[in-house]
Amino acid sequence: MIFFCVLLFLVLAAQIAELFIPALPWLYDAHIYIVPVIVFYGAMALPFPLMLALALYAGVLLDALTVQVIGGKVEISMGSSILLYGVLAGIMHGLRPLFARGHWEVHAILSGVFTALIVLAQYLMITFRRGSLVFTREIWWQICGPGIAAMLVAPILFWLLQWIGQMTAYPYGPERGRFE
Amino acid sequence: MGMSRTNIIALLIFGAVLGYFLSFGPSTTQKFKAGVYQLLAPFLTGGSGLKKQITSVRTGLKSHDQLEHENTALQVENTELRATNRGLRDVEHEVNRLRHALNYRERSVFKLMAAEIVARDSSSWWRTVTINRGKRDGIETDMPVVTDEGLIGKTTTISEGISIVLLISDENCRVAASVEGSREQGIVSGQRVTTGLTPLLDLNFLSKQAELKPGQKVYTSGVGGVFPSGLFIGPVKTFRVRELDGQAQLTPAVDLSHLEDVFVVTGRR
Repeated sequence: MIFFCVLLFLVLAAQIAELFIPALPWLYDAHIYIVPVIVFYGAMALPFPLMLALALYAGVLLDALTVQVIGGKVEISMGSSILLYGVLAGIMHGLRPLFARGHWEVHAILSGVFTALIVLAQYLMITFRRGSLVFTREIWWQICGPGIAAMLVAPILFWLLQWIGQMTAYPYGPERGRFE
Repeated sequence: MGMSRTNIIALLIFGAVLGYFLSFGPSTTQKFKAGVYQLLAPFLTGGSGLKKQITSVRTGLKSHDQLEHENTALQVENTELRATNRGLRDVEHEVNRLRHALNYRERSVFKLMAAEIVARDSSSWWRTVTINRGKRDGIETDMPVVTDEGLIGKTTTISEGISIVLLISDENCRVAASVEGSREQGIVSGQRVTTGLTPLLDLNFLSKQAELKPGQKVYTSGVGGVFPSGLFIGPVKTFRVRELDGQAQLTPAVDLSHLEDVFVVTGRR
């Protein structure tokens, strides 16, 4: 339970930190998202009910900080990120047997893919409202850039979170006690 | 193997909460968003201060590196004097910036509320900034936000102590505009995706005969009620004729990537 609370705190801290991390001009102004990586680690490490609670919490935070209400209209409805996080974290949770055996590679790659999927889903939702579905090179980089960044950050964050898990005597981690 | 009873209950609760949030209308969403921003306000303003301190420490480390390479007392003294001088120049720059802003506020025909940018939007698809003024300062939704150089956007979600400003570079920020030296009027909006430090704005619905020249200035026309007339939006960069209308691209008057101090237009004097 301590580890779960630590994850909740880290999600909040990362969500706030993201507001101060500038976009990467050399990657077509792609943004860096840390929260999805933490949520997806939680999806592997936490039991199913707590995984859902974490997805719910992260989704509410993401929606509250990103959804814009302009002229009495809302482009992405509150709750859409909860659904996205719930589904993607559920898939990640399904791969928990691999994590339990100490493997992290698939999850690190999937963290990047799923982060890009979240950004893609947001783009499709706003396009549905605004019209004119276009996919330029810049848009692809805005979608894939955060995914690549998340994929690169994932191993370090996974290692750090596993260390925190060990420090808090979290019993639901990898069986071998370390990543291979 | 089926799901355990605990998992099914957890899934049902998750579904119920999800349904609750999905049922939010725009006004409920805005209230909820304002509430969350209000809760996070101390972290946002604290984070903004921390970011400034980190930048300051980084500058300090550079001086330290220089000091390591200088052995004689004279060189140390020289470096210290340079550092002091640089510090004074920063102060001078700050004083000039604030004096400039103060002058603008005094000579403006609008009632202006000074505000500081505390955070920027981290999402890929919206262009917003957060300012350290809110309801308790008299800020309301849809108030124009400007600098002494021109228009930067309008307020959207307002909390007690902070507000969100939708920048003119956002596709959703639409501003009725008129072109200096012509009768042309159109709607300015941002582009969905912008790259580089200077985003461009689109001025749509011009006549095909507009033939705007680069450098012609575009101002708010006052149509629509949100933005008063006469606020500088930016100069024309290019003009092209489309099938049904003319479209110009503008360079924003204000460098939106380096905003620090802004003013919220709260009314006319």
